[in-house]
Amino acid sequence: MDIFFQQLFNGLTIGSVYSLVALGLTLVYGILHIPNFAHGALYMMGGYITLTMMQTLGLYYWLAIFVSIVVVGLIGVLMERLVFHHLRHAPPIHDKIAAIGMLLFLEAFAHRVWGADYLEMATPHGQVVSVFGITFTLQRLIIIVAAVLVMFTLYLFLKKTYMGMTVIAMSQNRAGANLVGVNTNKVAMLTFFISGALAAIAASLSSPINLVFPGMGHLVILKAFVIIIIGGMGSIPGAIVGGYILGFTESLGATYISSDYKDIIAFILLVLILTIRPNGLFAKGGQS
Amino acid sequence: MLKLNNVSVNYGAFTAVKNVDIEVHPGEIVVLLGSNGAGKSTTFNSISGLNKPSSGEILYDEQNIVGFPPDQIVNLGIIQCAEGRNLFPGMTVQENLMMGGYVHRKNKIHVKERLEEVYEMFPILKEKHNESAGSLSGGQQQMVAIGRALMGDPQYMLLDEPSIGLAPLIVEQMFAKIKQINDGGTSILLAEQNANAALKIADRGYVFENGQIAVQGTAEELLTNEEVRKAYIGA
Repeated sequence: MDIFFQQLFNGLTIGSVYSLVALGLTLVYGILHIPNFAHGALYMMGGYITLTMMQTLGLYYWLAIFVSIVVVGLIGVLMERLVFHHLRHAPPIHDKIAAIGMLLFLEAFAHRVWGADYLEMATPHGQVVSVFGITFTLQRLIIIVAAVLVMFTLYLFLKKTYMGMTVIAMSQNRAGANLVGVNTNKVAMLTFFISGALAAIAASLSSPINLVFPGMGHLVILKAFVIIIIGGMGSIPGAIVGGYILGFTESLGATYISSDYKDIIAFILLVLILTIRPNGLFAKGGQS
Repeated sequence: MLKLNNVSVNYGAFTAVKNVDIEVHPGEIVVLLGSNGAGKSTTFNSISGLNKPSSGEILYDEQNIVGFPPDQIVNLGIIQCAEGRNLFPGMTVQENLMMGGYVHRKNKIHVKERLEEVYEMFPILKEKHNESAGSLSGGQQQMVAIGRALMGDPQYMLLDEPSIGLAPLIVEQMFAKIKQINDGGTSILLAEQNANAALKIADRGYVFENGQIAVQGTAEELLTNEEVRKAYIGA
């Protein structure tokens, strides 16, 4: 039984990271109606910037994360301003091509600056904790707590502030947002900032238990796509629940089926859920 | 005063609106009549900055607002309640109305007062304030749309086909509310196919045909005009 709870805990850890990444992806999808393939590259940049801040400037872990949030958020804003904004009247395929272009650009950039090596990120929270027969490093607990805090703050922001409500309003009806006086350019920039910030948080939290390398975003972004498809494209609760569903399925599957198949599980889950609910778990029916 | 001077709007090679002159004086209700596709909505969207006229000017108190972004036009006090309503379907009724007060977001007390006024005008919305806007009936959604526009404190309100798809009894109530809003000091530009009901509350009107203004006059003139009666009133 212990191993079951241990794996449940691990599922909670990876699920938290997945949810954060998927949230950023789904927010941008809601605004632009395109899948931002470059989101995984933002995640990767988040890992590298936190690491660089810690190693070269000697910043403390949390301070480094803060810098990373701001920098990656701004990279997101730049993406919107320099690329997507100019494509707003172009056919959707152009956005997708541009997104892949930015993904390649950022990865090549990382190769050039940081090299292809797998780097480790040290955490000040490496202590081993043992509670109720579950053993884990403090970092894993921190991932869960921090992710939940971030998601809760984001929820309050989107639901209770005018600024946050503009993001939801624009994703539900762009013309409607225009007609109440919302500046849709500003909302698009804000959304990209949040999206980049969430990717940076996710990467910075998970890097100490994974590794930092140019391709670190690949599998994460693929899974984030699976999550937002499962949860319903553009749905915020869907992204959160989907992230945890995937986290649990993976960690339990790795234990009880085989760890070799860990990464396949996500895609089997995708096929299963889409067979039963083709619009995703949280898709709203019946409204235009 | 809101004044359109010789406005034309093209969609590619197609001219949707051609050399249109419209005036709305403070305190007036002015109605635009015309069948589907005659150019009413296009005209509205030009005023709101959602599309750009290819020529002509749109003057708001002597200032040409052509080229202003939509949010700035809302800030000036010209607010459109669009055909199809453009609500935020997943938000609650109250959240939709609050978004209508977005331009006054810094003045929380003002927004709150406006909200009470809208609830007073449409008591059913208060009852349903916590339900999602997408779950309401057509008539109630139209009330949310009008209420949301009112939340922005419009000087000029553009109402695009508020009666579309509504039951006759509800249509009558809706026009009574529009008159009530006008009595409160808001000038109204109303696009309608229901000419009879619209002309009863309007001061003046314009008849659109194929993107051009075919007839214009006071409400009484239009009500007694033979052509207008034949084409839009059916008597």
